[in-house]
Amino acid sequence: MSDMNRRDFVRRSGLYGVGVLAGLHLPRPNAARAAAESSTPAVLSIAEWKCLEALTARVIPTDHQPGAREAHCVNFIDKALAHEDAAAVPLYKGGLAALDGVAIARFEKKFGDLEAEPQDAILRDIDAGTAAEWKLEQLPSPLFFETARQHTIMAFLADPSYGGNRDYAGWKVSGYPGPRHRRGGFTPAQVEGTEPIVPIWDREG
Amino acid sequence: MQTSRDDRGRLGWPLPVIDAKLFADVDSSGDVGRELDVMTARNPSSKEFDVCVIGTGAGGGVMIDQLTAAGFEVVALERGGRVGPVDFDDDELRNVIRDEVFSPHQLETYRFDETSTPEPGRHAQIAHCVGGTITHWAAWSWRFQPDDFEVLSKEGPVEGANLADWPIRYEELEPFYGRAERDFGVSGVTGSNPFEASRSTKLPNPAHPERVSAKVFSKGARALGYQPFPVPMAINSRVYGGRPRCMYGGACRSYGCPVHAKATTLSVSLPRAEATGNLDLRANAMVFELPVDKKGRVTGARYLDSAGQEQEVRARQTIVACGSIGTPQLLLMSTSGSFPQGLANGSGQVGRNLTFHHHPSATAVFDDDLRAYTGFESHAAFDDLHASDPKRGFIRGGVIAETNTFTHQPIAYSLVLSEGLGFGSRWGAGLKDRIRAFPHVLSMALIGEELPMESSRVDLDPDVKDRFGLPVPRITKHHHPNDIAMYDWYEKRILELGEAAGARIVMPGRAEGVHIAADAAQKGNAHNHGTARMGVDASRSVLDKYCRSHEAKNLWVVDGSFMPTSAGYNPTLTILANAYRVADHFIREAGRQSL
Repeated sequence: MSDMNRRDFVRRSGLYGVGVLAGLHLPRPNAARAAAESSTPAVLSIAEWKCLEALTARVIPTDHQPGAREAHCVNFIDKALAHEDAAAVPLYKGGLAALDGVAIARFEKKFGDLEAEPQDAILRDIDAGTAAEWKLEQLPSPLFFETARQHTIMAFLADPSYGGNRDYAGWKVSGYPGPRHRRGGFTPAQVEGTEPIVPIWDREG
Repeated sequence: MQTSRDDRGRLGWPLPVIDAKLFADVDSSGDVGRELDVMTARNPSSKEFDVCVIGTGAGGGVMIDQLTAAGFEVVALERGGRVGPVDFDDDELRNVIRDEVFSPHQLETYRFDETSTPEPGRHAQIAHCVGGTITHWAAWSWRFQPDDFEVLSKEGPVEGANLADWPIRYEELEPFYGRAERDFGVSGVTGSNPFEASRSTKLPNPAHPERVSAKVFSKGARALGYQPFPVPMAINSRVYGGRPRCMYGGACRSYGCPVHAKATTLSVSLPRAEATGNLDLRANAMVFELPVDKKGRVTGARYLDSAGQEQEVRARQTIVACGSIGTPQLLLMSTSGSFPQGLANGSGQVGRNLTFHHHPSATAVFDDDLRAYTGFESHAAFDDLHASDPKRGFIRGGVIAETNTFTHQPIAYSLVLSEGLGFGSRWGAGLKDRIRAFPHVLSMALIGEELPMESSRVDLDPDVKDRFGLPVPRITKHHHPNDIAMYDWYEKRILELGEAAGARIVMPGRAEGVHIAADAAQKGNAHNHGTARMGVDASRSVLDKYCRSHEAKNLWVVDGSFMPTSAGYNPTLTILANAYRVADHFIREAGRQSL
């Protein structure tokens, strides 16, 4: 991603998270929650799903703990594209095809069929805007990558009812024990650190 | 920056997703509201209210409460809809990232100087809803310092800045600070901030538990010789005022409180006012003009209801409380023969001297779980470095606090601070390490006073219209060199504190290359002040010392726009206290029949 683009994003983010990626929002609140009950593609084709799943798995890789693949981040994005973030559907469909195009031009394989190392090499160039094989002039590759990167983070860490963060994978990795407004909050002793905190997935069996 | 659906078509490619919302909010087909046939659509009720209050946030809510309690018949017009505990969850995606709960129709444009193109968006961190922005505030509740009321006298003129004294002194506001603290149930330890101004009343509620992150912050502060204390918070530490105690769910700022332990006008002022029977509260009422009669008196307000139909109410006194962005917008839209430059704007000062706060910050990583996802936004602060000291190379200052602004939940934390923080790349193994550090991060920030500049202002955007066809507020925000020097100096102090506290990693809490001077990470702010200054000189200010217009004698302004300077503290308790002060004066004057 170019410096200009990155700085522009940070500006939009603001110092205090409010408004981060508010740009993705169209007024169809919480439709994705209902849609997330299905974990099969709603908007993406099977091929696009595979390509995006591979991309998300490089953004948040699997190591000794689960990554974007196990958290089912691709499902979150697919459902968001069906509802709140429908405006980004053409960006994804165009961008994923262009990403596969780069992979085929370099390795004669689709992006999702490559090993991690060549995938990372391609993504570094996509992120920097230096992939000569990127054939979509109307969509700068860094913008596509940054959108997918942010979506992956949201998918990994948003409430599981949106279709990602499967089995609380993202919250387990982040050490966040889950939201408490509807669950009685924390005790004073938990705030002070003298009483253990039980994550919501253990509380709810 | 593209601003219309037509442009989208011409590009032949849907806009990058980050721009997409512009199309949801900007209606280039335009002018629907304004083209209504004014003569036929106007439907002034024959009833004349005593008072019309526009806006139901901190300033407006207190006025509504106090005036209805005193027996005045009040009509309150609120541009936003009704929200309540049923809407107040702590889903980070919905509340913070997508910001779906409070201001679905908010739109401003923003630019850094007069030559750049204003960018449409939801920049100001405000709420359009019944209850206003205080509905999703974090509840920090400071009293300003005596010298905050006399900045020009204390500092002398500064080139490029428009410093001013307030027409009141701390002593005049002091009893009303006490009133606001009592009604809003402020918690804390009276006297624990050795630098606090003198007070005649104690805080009504005891302090909250000390969060682990606050203990670590305070340890670092004490190691450097500072004197940390619990931040005074308008959040119940015990059952108080008919509201429950805090359940420490961690998510206050940008969220509504589902149990009303957080004091807001929605939980304190408006229920009392509605119980009097003297309040007619109309939600989804977008006021677009304050009409005046031949004598230059405001006759009430004209607004568009939720169906876009034009309505009018009449009132003997009109109180504007639309916030420092919305108030100048409304006054500037209200042009007439008596006020060709906008209502109450003979001085040309309406909309000028806009100030924010700036927030140099640092992120420090420890081995322990600091539990910043519990409690509320800030549990500890210190004021030792607040006092103005020109020897530093700048004047004024601010309070430094521990905060969970980014660390209360993991999405914004991971999105905003995922580069330049010692974890390597923005994606891949570096990002994952960053995510894993979430519970180990101490976040600290300054509430830094900005110097007012005449050229920092809100006016009407000549091109961009809202969904009704009304001109949106255009924010032009400069930074004085003093702001930049202050930012840099305090950032160093905050980084030192992280090291003194024993952090494993300490990094500035801003992405690499982003600086207040160059990029204004500050684009849009939660703290907006100064666009309708009060003052003694009617040619240099908009309001008199009681926040009454110099020019239109039955017009009052009680949101944060009255502040000539912003101080280095969160402003809301001062907005509340000032509204109690203005209400007290209003009721007294009405008793003398001199309104």
